[in-house]
Amino acid sequence: MGSQSHPHPHLNGDSNTHIPKKPKLSSLPSSLFTEAEIQNEFNHHDPTVARINNGSFGCCPLSIIQSQQQLQLEFLRQPDHFYFSELKPGILKSRSLIQRLINAHHLDEISIVDNATTAAAIVLQNIAWSFAEGKFNHGDVAIMLHYAYGAVKKSIEAYVTRAGGHVIEVHLPFPVNSKDEIVFEFRKALERGKENGKKVRLAVIDHITSMPSVVIPVKELVRICREEGVDQVFVDAAHGIGCTDVDMQDIGADFYTSNLHKWFFCPPSIAFLYCRKSPGCIDLHHPVVSHEYGNGLAVESAWIGTRDYSAQLVVPKVFDFVNRFEGGIEGIKKRNHENVVEMGQMLAKAWETNLGCPPEMCASMIMVGLPACLGISSDSDTLKLRTHLREKFGVEVPIYYRAPKDGEVDVVTGLLVMGSLVLFFIIEELCLVCSATLHGFATMNSQNQRRNKLQRCK
Amino acid sequence: MDEKEDPRNGDHVTKKPKLLKLSISDPEFLLGSEFSHHQPGTARINNGSFGCCPESIIAAQRTWQLRFLKQPDHFYFSTLRPNLSKSRAVVKTLINASDLDEISLVDNATTAAAIVLQQVGRRFSHVNDTVVMFHCAFPAIKKSIQAYVTRAGASVIEVRLPFPVNSDSEIIAEFRKGLSKAKSNGGKVRLAIIDHITSMPSVLVPVRELVEICREQGVDQVFVDAAHAIGSVPIDVQEIGADFYVSNLYKWFFAPPSVAFLYCRKSNSSSSAMHHPVVSHEYGNGLPIESSWIGTRDYSPQLVIPTIIEFVNRFEGGIEGIMARNHEQVVKMGKMLAESWGTSLGSPPEMCASMIMVALPSKLCVTSDDDAFSLRTHLREKYKVEVPIYYRPPCEDDGEKEPRDKDGFWRIIKFARCFRPNEKVGSYRSSLPSNDVCVSPVADTCGLTKFKNNRILEDTNG
Repeated sequence: MGSQSHPHPHLNGDSNTHIPKKPKLSSLPSSLFTEAEIQNEFNHHDPTVARINNGSFGCCPLSIIQSQQQLQLEFLRQPDHFYFSELKPGILKSRSLIQRLINAHHLDEISIVDNATTAAAIVLQNIAWSFAEGKFNHGDVAIMLHYAYGAVKKSIEAYVTRAGGHVIEVHLPFPVNSKDEIVFEFRKALERGKENGKKVRLAVIDHITSMPSVVIPVKELVRICREEGVDQVFVDAAHGIGCTDVDMQDIGADFYTSNLHKWFFCPPSIAFLYCRKSPGCIDLHHPVVSHEYGNGLAVESAWIGTRDYSAQLVVPKVFDFVNRFEGGIEGIKKRNHENVVEMGQMLAKAWETNLGCPPEMCASMIMVGLPACLGISSDSDTLKLRTHLREKFGVEVPIYYRAPKDGEVDVVTGLLVMGSLVLFFIIEELCLVCSATLHGFATMNSQNQRRNKLQRCK
Repeated sequence: MDEKEDPRNGDHVTKKPKLLKLSISDPEFLLGSEFSHHQPGTARINNGSFGCCPESIIAAQRTWQLRFLKQPDHFYFSTLRPNLSKSRAVVKTLINASDLDEISLVDNATTAAAIVLQQVGRRFSHVNDTVVMFHCAFPAIKKSIQAYVTRAGASVIEVRLPFPVNSDSEIIAEFRKGLSKAKSNGGKVRLAIIDHITSMPSVLVPVRELVEICREQGVDQVFVDAAHAIGSVPIDVQEIGADFYVSNLYKWFFAPPSVAFLYCRKSNSSSSAMHHPVVSHEYGNGLPIESSWIGTRDYSPQLVIPTIIEFVNRFEGGIEGIMARNHEQVVKMGKMLAESWGTSLGSPPEMCASMIMVALPSKLCVTSDDDAFSLRTHLREKYKVEVPIYYRPPCEDDGEKEPRDKDGFWRIIKFARCFRPNEKVGSYRSSLPSNDVCVSPVADTCGLTKFKNNRILEDTNG
C-alpha cells in the first residue's frame, strides 16, 4: 500500500472522517519504521493528552484503521459475496497467525471473540450448564483472585454463584514483594476449596491483574492446580499479548484469553480464546447462537449474526505492522518494559514512595505510590484525582486506592497505574505527570477539608 | 455545547455539509451520492439479508470511531453513555414504547434471541414446559431454541406456516392449532416466538392477532422476532402488545452493521430478569445498561441512529414514504414477473412488506435446497443478480390443491427490494422470452437447455 488517495472520495467527508494520506513508505516492504512514520501513524491521537493508560483501551495505528475501513467497505459493496466467499477464509487466516504466535498445537483451539469479557462468559456459561445438568454438585468450588477484573467477578457471580457454585477468593498481598507470596496465598485458597470433600471445578487466574497491576506467576499456579486436582484452569490474560510471554505449551492452562486491541495494535475489538484440545474435553459454545451452533466454538464465533467482523479480519495487517519494529513484538515488549520501569523508578524517587511490586513482576505497566500527603482515602478520591489530572493537565492515568491495613500509619494509599507504549512516552510527559500530580494535590487539598495532617512535600 | 457534541463537527466547528433533499425519483443521483460504494453492475435484490448503508451514515460512523480512538478514556467516561441514551430515545419514539428503560441496543436479532431464551430457560420448572414457534423460523432462532430450550429439558412445538398463503386467517388457524397441541398434555406454554415478517418464505404475519390469542390462551411470554420490521412496516409496540420485540436496524433502516433494538415491556415482571450473556461490571443494572457496556468494542453503529433519522427525513414522507414506495415497487415487480412467467405470488400483496415471493417456472426443476442454492450462485456469478431462492417442498396436506404453474410445480424466488426503484420497470414488459437466453445448469439437469431470461438481469441499478 503506497500513498494513494482514498478510493471513495465521498467518504472523505470533513476532517474528522478523513484518514490522512498514508505516510510514504520506504521502498522495502519490510523496512523498519522511522520515528517520523510512527508519529504519523498516531496523528489521530489527541496531541494534548499524555496517554499513560494504554492498558484500558489500547491504541490503533492509522494504517490499520485504513485497512479496517477497506474491509468494511468490501462487505458493504456486495455483502452476500463477502459472506459466502471471503469471510470464513479471512477469519481462518487470522486464527492461523494467532495459533503460531501463542504456540498452540491445533487450529481448532483458537477462537476469535470480541474481548476477554466475552471469553469469560463463554468459559463460565459452560460451568453454569455443568451445575444445571448435574455434572457438578451444589457447593463445588471456583477459585479466583481477589484482584480479578470487575467484569470477570460479575461473570462468576452470574454463572457460578447463581448456578450453585461456591466461590473462593485468593487474597493477594499488595504491595507484593515476590511471586512466592502469591504462590503461598494461592495454595492456602486451594486448601480451603478442597475442604469437606468439595471439588475445585475451576480456577480463574489473571496473567496480569489490572488494578492493582501485577504479573502473576501463572505457569507455577497452573502446575499447582494440576497437582491439587483442579478440574480446569482459565487464565484471563486480557493484557497478555504484546505485554508478556504467551506460550500455551509453557503455561499449560485449559483456557486462555487475551485482548489484541490493548497491546497488539488491533482496532476495537478483538480477542482470542484458546481452548486446549484434550481427551474428554467438552466443546464450549458462544452464548449468541447462530446456525453454526454445534460446529465447534471457533466456527460458532466466526458467525454470530450479521455484524462487522473487520477487526478480526485485519489481523494479518497487524502482524505486518508489528514486524516493522526492530525485534517485532518481542522488541516492543522489551522496550515497553524498560521504559515503564524507568518512568516508575524516577517518579518513586522524586516522591520518595515505592513501586507496587518489583520490576520483574511488571510487564508494560507499573504502579507507583503517590505521596501520602495527597490524602487519598477512598475509591472516589482516586476517581476525582484521575478526572482532575485529565481535565486540568491532560494526563490520562488510572489511580488505585489501597486501603491501609489495621495498625498501618502514613502508608501509601494511592498509586498511579502507569501503562504506556514506549512509542509515545517522552520524558517531558513524565515531568508533566510529576508536576501535575503535585499541582493536583495542592488544588485538592485547598478545595477539600481533609482530616489528615498536612505534611511538607517536595 | 451542542455543536461541539455533534459528531460531524468533531472537536472544532466546521461548516455543516449542506444536506440536499433526496429524491427517490432520481435514483441516479442517489446512487452517485450515497451508494457509490456498492458494486456496480450487481442487481441487489436481497436487501433483506444484510441491508445497505448510505455513505453519509458511514461517514458519521467513522467520526464516532475516530473520536473514541483519539482519547478513549474521555470517550468512555463522558461521551458514550449519554449518546447511547440519545439513540435509545430515538428508537423509543419510533416504536411508540412507553418507557426508555424498555429499549436496549444489541448487535442483532440473533443476540436478542439469546437474551430472551436464556431468561426463559431460567423459568422452566416443569417437565411439560413448552415453547411454540413457526416451523420456518430463522435458522439461528431454531438453533437458539436447541441451545437454551431443548437442552434445558423443555419441549418445542412448531406451527406450520401455510405457504403459499392466501389470507391472515389461514395463519391464525394454524397458530391456534399449534397452541392447542402445546397445551394438550397439560403443558405450560412458557414462550411463543412469532415472526413479524418471516424470512424464508417471506410473509407478513398478523402479529397483533396472534399476540391476542396468546394472551387468551395463557401463554406466559410472547417474543416477536421482527428482524425485518423496522423500515418495512410501521411498528407500534403498544398495539402489538408483545412482551419482547426485536428488530434489526441495518436491514431496512440504513444502519451500518450492526445494531438492533430489543424492546422489553416494563409491565412484564421478567424484564428485570433479562441479562446480556456477556457480563460486565454493569451486571444487575438493567438490560439497557448492561447492553451499553459489554467490554471494550466499537459501539459506533449504535451511536449513529440519530443521524439515520436525519437521513431518512430527507426523503419525501420520511420513513413512511420510503416504506410505501418500497412496497409498491416490489409488488409491481413481483406481479410483472409472475405474469410473464405464468406463475404466481407466494402471498397476496397485503401480506408483503418490502419483500415478495414469486414462483419460478417449473421448467427450472428446482427440486431441493441444493438446487435453489446452485441457482442462486449461478445468478450471482454469471449474471450479477443477488437474490435468494426458496425451495418449497411438496406438502402432503396439499394433495390436489398442490399449486402448479403452467408446466409443473412451484418454485419460489424471493425478491427483497431496497428503496431504489427502477425506472426501467417498463422494459420488463418487453422482456419476454425470445431475446436473451442463457444456459441454466439446473435446467440442464432436467434435460432442458435453456431458460428464459428477462431484462431484469441487466438492470444494474437494482
